Amino acid sequence: MDQFTQLTVDALTLGSVYALIALGYTLIYGVLKLLNFAHGDVFMVGSFIGFGVLQLLGGTDNPVVPVWALLVIITFAAMAGCATLGVVIERFAYRPLRDAPRIAPLISALGVSFFLANSMQLLFGADPRNYNTFDLSNGALYLRGIDIGNVRVPLLRIITIVAAFVLMVLLWFLVNRTRTGKAMRATSFDREAAAMMGIDIDRVIVFTFVLGSALAGAAGVLFAVRVPTTVSIGFVAGLKGFTAAVIGGIGSIPGAMAGGLILGFAESYTQGYVSTKWSDLVVFSILIAFMIFRPQGLLGRPDISKV
Amino acid sequence: MTDSTPHSSSIPASGPAVGQDEWVARHAARRLMPVGPLRTVEERLRIVPWWAWLVLFIAAMSLLPVVESSGYVRRVGFDTVLYMLLALGLNVVVGWGGLLDLGYVAFYGVGAYAYALLDSDKFGVHLPTLVAVPVVVVIGAVVGFLLGLPSRRLTGDYLAIVTLFFLQLFQTVMTNGDSAFGHNLTGGPNGILRIDPLHLFGHDLTVQHQGVFAVSYFYVALGFFAVVFVALRFVNSSRTGRAWRSLREDPLAAEAMGMPVNWLKLMSFSFGAAVAALTGTLFAALNASVFPLTFYFVLLITVYTMVILGGSGSQPGVVAGALIISPLLEMLRDPGKSRIIFFAVLIGGVGLAARRSRTLGVAAAATIAFGFAVHELARAIDASWVSGEKAGGFAGAVDHWVVHPAQLASWIPPVSYIGLIAATLLVTTLHGRLRLVALVPTLYLSAFVWENVMLAKPEPARYIVLGLILIALMILRPNGLLGERRVEIV
Amino acid sequence: MALLELQGVSLAFGGLKVVHDLDLQVEEREIVSVIGPNGAGKTTLFNLITGIYRPQAGDIMLDGASIVGLEPHQISRRGISRTFQTLRLFLNMSVKENVMAAAYGHTRAGIFRSMLRTPGMRREEREIEALAHERLAFFGERLMGYRWDQPAFSLSYANRRRLEIARATATNPRILLLDEPAAGMNPAETHEITELIAKLREDGGYTILVIEHDMHVVEGISDRVVALDHGIKIAEGSFESVATNEKVVEAYLGLNTAATK
Ligand SMILES: Nc1ncnc2c1ncn2[C@@H]1O[C@H](COP(=O)(O)OP(=O)(O)OP(=O)(O)O)[C@@H](O)[C@H]1O
Ligand SMILES: [Mg+2]
Repeated sequence: MDQFTQLTVDALTLGSVYALIALGYTLIYGVLKLLNFAHGDVFMVGSFIGFGVLQLLGGTDNPVVPVWALLVIITFAAMAGCATLGVVIERFAYRPLRDAPRIAPLISALGVSFFLANSMQLLFGADPRNYNTFDLSNGALYLRGIDIGNVRVPLLRIITIVAAFVLMVLLWFLVNRTRTGKAMRATSFDREAAAMMGIDIDRVIVFTFVLGSALAGAAGVLFAVRVPTTVSIGFVAGLKGFTAAVIGGIGSIPGAMAGGLILGFAESYTQGYVSTKWSDLVVFSILIAFMIFRPQGLLGRPDISKV
Repeated sequence: MTDSTPHSSSIPASGPAVGQDEWVARHAARRLMPVGPLRTVEERLRIVPWWAWLVLFIAAMSLLPVVESSGYVRRVGFDTVLYMLLALGLNVVVGWGGLLDLGYVAFYGVGAYAYALLDSDKFGVHLPTLVAVPVVVVIGAVVGFLLGLPSRRLTGDYLAIVTLFFLQLFQTVMTNGDSAFGHNLTGGPNGILRIDPLHLFGHDLTVQHQGVFAVSYFYVALGFFAVVFVALRFVNSSRTGRAWRSLREDPLAAEAMGMPVNWLKLMSFSFGAAVAALTGTLFAALNASVFPLTFYFVLLITVYTMVILGGSGSQPGVVAGALIISPLLEMLRDPGKSRIIFFAVLIGGVGLAARRSRTLGVAAAATIAFGFAVHELARAIDASWVSGEKAGGFAGAVDHWVVHPAQLASWIPPVSYIGLIAATLLVTTLHGRLRLVALVPTLYLSAFVWENVMLAKPEPARYIVLGLILIALMILRPNGLLGERRVEIV
Repeated sequence: MALLELQGVSLAFGGLKVVHDLDLQVEEREIVSVIGPNGAGKTTLFNLITGIYRPQAGDIMLDGASIVGLEPHQISRRGISRTFQTLRLFLNMSVKENVMAAAYGHTRAGIFRSMLRTPGMRREEREIEALAHERLAFFGERLMGYRWDQPAFSLSYANRRRLEIARATATNPRILLLDEPAAGMNPAETHEITELIAKLREDGGYTILVIEHDMHVVEGISDRVVALDHGIKIAEGSFESVATNEKVVEAYLGLNTAATK
C-alpha cells in the first residue's frame, strides 16, 4: 500500500510535467497542424534558463530572495525565455513554410530541434545541472510535507503538482473564456474561414507559440527542481509529451492533460511493479494500442476530410 | 485522333496560345527550364542515358583507393558509400512514398544487430555470408512491415510519432537487452563484439591489411550500392513506383484510381527498412562490433540532411547529398579544414546572396576593414584580447583579423553565440542599405564565434551545421540540389 | 437489371442529412446527369458510390452485387471510376505517368519482377504506355507531344480537367462518374466537353454519370436527368420534364438558369 501511494505520487509528478509538454504540442498542432518536434528542446532550454536565473539569484545555498519568491521567479523567467524562443522559432523556421508542402515544416522542425540541442551542448557542455533544491531552507522542501499512511509526500512534489494544475486551469480559462482563446479555437477549426472572419491569423499563431512554449518552460523548471537536467533531455521529453498528446487526442486540451497523466501512471507503475528498464516498452504498447483501436485518441474527434 | 469540334480545331495546341490560362501555363513551363548556355549543357547531358552515368560514377568511385593510399581516406570513402545506401533506402520511403519515417536508422540497427547475432561468437552462430545477408534483409523488411501495420491508416504525423518512438524503443531494448528474461541477448550498452567479417568467394574479407584499411569492403559496398541503385530505379519506373509517387501526391485520388494505398505504404516502408538492414550488415561486418548508440537521433538527422540536401525523390540527388555531407562532417572534425570550409562558405554565401557584384565588393571590403579596425582597437585596449594568435599559415592570417583571446571569459561564448543568432535573424528581416550595414558586423561576429567558440568543440559544432543546413534548405530550396521542383496545391 | 442501383441510400454528417433515402438506377451505356443547387449532396453521392464514404443506410449494387463496405480501390477495380470536382491530379508527376498510374488495378507485375525487368513485365509496361497514349490521344493534340513529359502542375485548368478524365478512363471502367467536368471552362471549351462526353460513350462504351451546373451541357448530353435538393431526389426524367418541374425551379430559385431554360 505504501509503495502504491509512493508510486501514485510519482505518477502525478511525472504525469503533470508530461501534460504540460503535451499541451504545447496540442495547442500548436491545433492551429498550425504542425508537429513541433523542437518543443522538447524548448522544454530543455527552459530547465537551463531556470538554472541560470537561480545562479544569478545566489543559487540554492545562498539565495537573495525568499524561497517562495525564488521558485516563482525562476519559473516565470523560464516561461518568458521559452516564450521568446518559441516566437523566434515560429517567425524564422515555420512561418516561411506555412504554404509549403506538409512535410517541409516537419523537417524544418527536426532541424530546429537538432540545432537547439547541439547549440546548448556547445555553450554549456554535457554535464548535468543540479538545482540542489535540498539546500533551500535546510531541506524543508523534502523533509516537510503531507503524510498519507506511512508515506510522507514532500512539499516540493506538492508544489510541482499544484503548480502544474494551476497552469493548466489558467490555460483552460485563456482558451475557453477570452476573445483570443476564441480566435484560437476558430483558427484551429478552419484557418481560412477564420481569416475571412477578420481574425489576424499571424497574431493567433504567435500567441499560441507563446502559450505552448511558456508551458514547456514551466515544465522544464518543474522537472529540473527534482532531477538534474542535461542538454540531451529534450529528445525523450519531447517524445513522451508528443505521445501523451496523441494518446489524449491531438488538438484537445483536456486530452493532452489526460494523456500526460496516463503516461505518468504507466511509467511509474511499470517502474515500481515490473522493472525500471521496460517502461518505454509499456508506453509504446499503449501508443500502438491507441493507433489500432482509437487513432483519434481519447478525447479527439475523428478526422473527416472533405472531398 | 483529332478534335471533334470546330471551336477546338481553331486553337492550335502548340502554336501561340489563345486564352489567358493557356499562356500562363506555358509561361510557367518555360520558367522551369534554364535558359542560355546552361540549358544547352543540360540538354546535352540529358542525352546520356542514366546507366552510362551510373557506370561512370562507379568507375570514378572505384578509383578512390587507387589514387588514395591513406587508410583514413579509404575508410571515409567506405562510410560515404554506406551513407549513399542509407540515403537510397530513405528516399524510397520519404521521396517516393511521401511517408515521414523517423525510425529509419533503427532498421539500420536492426540489420546490424541481426547480422551480429547470426554471425558472431555471441551465440556461437556463424551463418555463411551468402545466407546471413539475405536473412537479415528479410528480417529488416518484416520488422518494417510490422511497424507499419498499426500506422497504416494514419496520416504522416501519426506515422512520424510511431516511428520516432520505435527509434527510442530500439535504444531501450538494445541497451537493456543484456538482462531480458534473465538472458543477455544484446550485450547492453557494451554491444556485441567479435562479429565475423564477410566471407565471400572462399575468403574472409579482412578489414586491415598490413595496418592499412583494406579496400575489399569498399568494393563490396560499392557493388551493393550499384545493385540497390539499379533495382530501386527499376521499381520506380514500374507500376509500383508510379503508385508510390501517386500516393505521395494524393492518397485519396490514388485509392480512387484503384491503388491499394495502405498496402503500398507498407511496401514502401518495408522496402526502405530492407535497404537499411542490408547496409547494417556491411556496417557490422566491417566494424566487427555494434553498439546501440550508433543508431540514434544524430544518425537519423544526418541521413535526412543528405536526402533533403540532394533532393528527396531523386536518386542521383540523394547520392549527391551523401557525397557532400559525409566528407563535410569528416572535415569539420579537423579545425584546419573546418576553418577553410567556413570562410569559403561565408564568402560564397554572401556572393550568391549579393547578386550584384558591387554589393558584394562593398560588403567584402567593409567587412575586412571593419575586422582590422576591431582587431586593432582590441589590441589597443587590452593586449590579452588578441593573445590567442597562432603563427603563420591561414590560421595565423585569420588571427590578424579576428579577435582571439587566449582565455575566454565564461560569459563570452553564450553571449556572442546568441548575439550572432539574433544578428543573423535581424539581417534576414532588413532590406537594402540597412541590411548591408547590419551584415558587416554580423559577418565579423560569425567569424569571431567560429574561431573562438565553435572550433573548440567540433562535435556539437558540426551537428549545429547539419541542423542549420536542414532549416535553411527547407526555406530556401526545399527541392534540394537535384530534386524536381515540387508544388502542392491544397 | 440496372448496371448500377442505389436503394434507400442515406448519409448524415452529425445532424446534417446530406443524402437521404436515395433510390437511383443507371442502365448500361446510359448518360445520366445529376443536378441540384450547391450543397445538394451531389458530390457526396459520388463519394458514396466510389466507397470514400460508407452509407449509413441502404445498399449500392453494381451488376446486382453489393459494393457497400468495399475499399475505394476495390470498387475502382470492379469498374467504377471518377473525376474530382476539386481536381486531384498527381501534380508532380508527368502527364503520361498520371494516366499510367491509373492502370495499376488491372496490371500485374510485382515488385520483384519489376526489379528484374522480366520480359513479361516489360511487355506489360509497353501495354500500359500504349494505353496512356490512347487515352490521352482522345483529347486530340491537347495532351500530346511535348506535354507528355511535363509535370501535371504545368497544365492549364482546362487541360487538367481533361487529364482527370483521361486518368479516370485508364482504370478501364464500366461506369464513369464525372464531377462538374465543365467547371471553370470557357464557352468554347464547354461546348467541346459536351461533345466529348457523348464521344466517350461511343468510343469507350462507358455508362456515364455527370454532375453539372451548366444547363446547356446537361441538355446536350443527358438521356436522363436526376435533380437533388438537400439530399433528396426531387425530380427525375427527361431534361425537359425536370427543367420545368416546379420543385426544381423552386430549388434553383434565384439561380435563373433553370427558369430560363
Ligand atoms: N466530410 C464532410 N463533413 C461534413 N459535411 C460535409 C462533408 N462533405 C460534405 N459535407 C456537406 O454536405 C453537403 C453536401 O455537399 P456536397 O459536396 O455533396 O454538395 P454538392 O451538391 O456537390 O455541391 P456543389 O454543387 O457545391 O459541389 C454540404 O452542405 C457540405 O458542406
Ligand atoms: Mg460538388
